[in-house]
Amino acid sequence: MAKVRCGRILSEDIYIEEGDTTTLYFINNLRAYQVVLAALKALDQDICHDGCSLPSTVNKAIKRLGKLKNDLETSDVAAKEKESLLSKIDTFLADANRLPQDTSQTCRKSAGECIIGAGCFATGALNLINVVTEPKA
Amino acid sequence: MTEVLGNQIQGLNIVLGALQAATGETCKNCIGLEGAKTKVGKMAKKLGMDLEAAAICCEKTKADLQSRIDSLSKAAEELKIAEECECQKTAGNCKIGEGCFVNAAVDLIKLVH
Repeated sequence: MAKVRCGRILSEDIYIEEGDTTTLYFINNLRAYQVVLAALKALDQDICHDGCSLPSTVNKAIKRLGKLKNDLETSDVAAKEKESLLSKIDTFLADANRLPQDTSQTCRKSAGECIIGAGCFATGALNLINVVTEPKA
Repeated sequence: MTEVLGNQIQGLNIVLGALQAATGETCKNCIGLEGAKTKVGKMAKKLGMDLEAAAICCEKTKADLQSRIDSLSKAAEELKIAEECECQKTAGNCKIGEGCFVNAAVDLIKLVH
């Protein structure tokens, strides 16, 4: 079956067999985490570094990446592709683990430092994952 | 006014972080990222104009904000996109569904009220 390009993760072009929606599901999620983690890294340079929302979001991302890894391990994705995607998940997990995870600090809104309104950059960044709508899991 | 500008600078910094990741993606060849690059460049320019027009007494605060805006402007200019872009969904290379990472990243700025 013909291979089609469906993303570039960590500077590597990713190809799948046309119609392979299972592999595509994992690839799309990894494409999203690539963007989410970059946004979280940018946030870490901000006052969010000393708050609790960023660590809480980072913890959520780590948990979800862990789940994605488990799902991938037990999936019927071809061995070669599986190995390559698992190594990318490990890279993302290592990146996420370098971000703040201590949720005991005070929310910067409560501390009066964050005055962006009702929204939250950390939550918004993680919500970028929701952009992935196909294929349905 | 300082607060509003500070919030927008914070927001744009995060948008640019996400867009930089998208340049290492399929999005590098995408018209969506090309449009986003123009948009964030304009946002940074407008921030600079707003700062200039703002009544900020403290020269140091103003200079700090200007320097942050300049860094954002530079980061926007340096977003690496392909010379010839086309929508990667149309090209069949992006299969994430109806959404778009780049548009969603730019929309993060809307979190600033």
